[in-house]
Amino acid sequence: MSPRPERIRRFTARHIANHWVMLIGFLGLVITGMPQKFPAEMWAKGVVLILGGVERVRFIHHLLGTIMALQLVWHVAEGVWLHLVRRLDMPMIPKLADVRDFMQQIRFNVGLASEPPAMDRYGFAEKLEYLALVWGTAVMVLTGLLLLYPVRWSALFPGEWILAAKAAHGGEAILAFLSILTWHVYFVHIRHWNTAIFNGKLDVEAYAEEHPLELRRLRRGEQATPAAIQGWRVAVFALLTVTMAAGVVALLYWLRSPAGHIWTIQVPGLQ
Amino acid sequence: MESKHLRSPIYFVAAAVLLLCGRSLLAVDDSACLECHGSKQAISDAAGAMDLKLTPERIEQLVRHAPTAGTPHAGIACLDCHPKADEIPHPAGLLKESPCVVCHENELNQVNKSAHRDPKGGSDLRAPCWACHQAHDVRAVKDPNSAVAPFNVASRCLTCHDKGEYLIGVHGQAVQLGGLDFAATCVSCHGGHDILAPKDAGSRVARRNISFTCGKCHGRVAQAYRASVHGAPLTASDNPDVPTCVDCHRAHGTQDPLLPRFRLSSPEICGRCHRNKAMMAKYGLSASVYNTYVADFHGTTAELFRATSPDQPLNQAVCYDCHGFHDVESVRTAGDKVIKERLLVRCQVCHPKATAAFLSAWTAHYEPSPTKYPLIYWVQVFYRMVIPGTIGFFLVYIAVDVWGRRRHRRSS
Repeated sequence: MSPRPERIRRFTARHIANHWVMLIGFLGLVITGMPQKFPAEMWAKGVVLILGGVERVRFIHHLLGTIMALQLVWHVAEGVWLHLVRRLDMPMIPKLADVRDFMQQIRFNVGLASEPPAMDRYGFAEKLEYLALVWGTAVMVLTGLLLLYPVRWSALFPGEWILAAKAAHGGEAILAFLSILTWHVYFVHIRHWNTAIFNGKLDVEAYAEEHPLELRRLRRGEQATPAAIQGWRVAVFALLTVTMAAGVVALLYWLRSPAGHIWTIQVPGLQ
Repeated sequence: MESKHLRSPIYFVAAAVLLLCGRSLLAVDDSACLECHGSKQAISDAAGAMDLKLTPERIEQLVRHAPTAGTPHAGIACLDCHPKADEIPHPAGLLKESPCVVCHENELNQVNKSAHRDPKGGSDLRAPCWACHQAHDVRAVKDPNSAVAPFNVASRCLTCHDKGEYLIGVHGQAVQLGGLDFAATCVSCHGGHDILAPKDAGSRVARRNISFTCGKCHGRVAQAYRASVHGAPLTASDNPDVPTCVDCHRAHGTQDPLLPRFRLSSPEICGRCHRNKAMMAKYGLSASVYNTYVADFHGTTAELFRATSPDQPLNQAVCYDCHGFHDVESVRTAGDKVIKERLLVRCQVCHPKATAAFLSAWTAHYEPSPTKYPLIYWVQVFYRMVIPGTIGFFLVYIAVDVWGRRRHRRSS
């Protein structure tokens, strides 16, 4: 038996939990959303039949959508906390170096360069996917919220916006699903069978190939250390988040439509 | 010169009494016939005596009884219709030609002009009298044991006509299961002796006559239909495209329109014509109303709900909730302003908080274009370009990456 290769800690429990929530939410939303986008198709009817009817499909979709919206809000708050209060780097933010890495990788692949790019903690492929995910989730949450309360929103702005939101919700959904199916599946399932986001660890060999810069820093024993907490930064952070949360609660209170609940609507012909 | 006696009232009364009671007074004697035809045993004995080999079915067919007292044919003797039957053994062609015409000339004249007439113009009717009325146990229509009593009509017609779905239709069930003698049987819509093929202009079920035929029972519905955008062109100009009652409700397997199943399938019924591009183009109508409906919240829900629970009630709007059913009106008649007012009322039935602004959250069945609902249109165009662009870029990059890695692995 060959000795087990050294494995390097890449993700913490926080990352892993975040990914699980995203994984379940995303797949659940695709499964419950696509039949609503293609209701005339046989497979759509089959999915709805298996899940127990269109109302339950909608309920699951709304529930998972709400969880994903909360996750997005949590992620933004977390990012603000880590970056502005704890003064840590934002390793996911793309830099000019990522464009250079991208070109270098293509030149290396076609044989114009002898060395592949040396990337840091997150390579350009991961950054691209992360940005697409955050952007996509923001679009889906905002358009989804529009679709959830069409009657109330139409009092604020033209109804055409709601229909445009519906078109965007469906288009973005297909874009996101196909992106995961191609980009994500290729990089973490085919290129490498990468299970780091489930068990937190990556083989040193893969680490050396994909994140050589970070591996060198880790070998030197360099660890990013958060700055000391400053009271005024925490106060500003708390004020902002509490205001935002209050705003969301107020908005949802205004949006609720007690007279329009499904069980109060008469079925025509069955009064 | 006529005798004065002939005009005397006493003479008339005597003649009338004789006519009315004649049959019973001059009681017919079928006993000679019944000696052989009275029972199975008698028939087989007679056949044996004549060295005839008869199947058990044939023996059963040959058993006859005199018409039941009180039925219209009581008093008619076997020999009246089978004059040659007094020869034993019976010769071929025992039945007198057109035996019924003696008393029922009017009815036979009607049949001779109907779809059941002899195509060659002779007396060989497609459906002879006894095909419906039976040959021997002829009874009045009102007699529940009559072969043509409402309950039994279908069984007579279905012997030749493959329209069994009538029995699971709402009319067939009302007659057969509900015991409603006034619910429609075959004869109610098609007529009896004077029945004509639907393609015949004079037929009760010819396109332009259907609403009148259904209207015999469904009067107000038929009236509303004839005034509607579907009914009026049929009456006015024999329009070949508009639906009649049976195009939506089906002629024989008529479904109860109050059932959720009918409600959920109704968009598909309207869609049969309103999805037809060629037909809609003739009238300058949009053929995308069905697809835009299904793509809409109401239609998506109805479509998916129908797939899983076709017999459950659903409150989502179907076509007729907004357009009406028998009294469908052209959207051009009332004008934009009135339509919007009416529409808001409809919306508020289910969306009590809806305002006039809410109406703009619906494309009125239009497909977005650069001039109509441009915002939606451009969002659609954006994704139509971005999705293949992005995924195409991903796939090309992945292909190059796979190729490059294979090359490097081989060289190293």
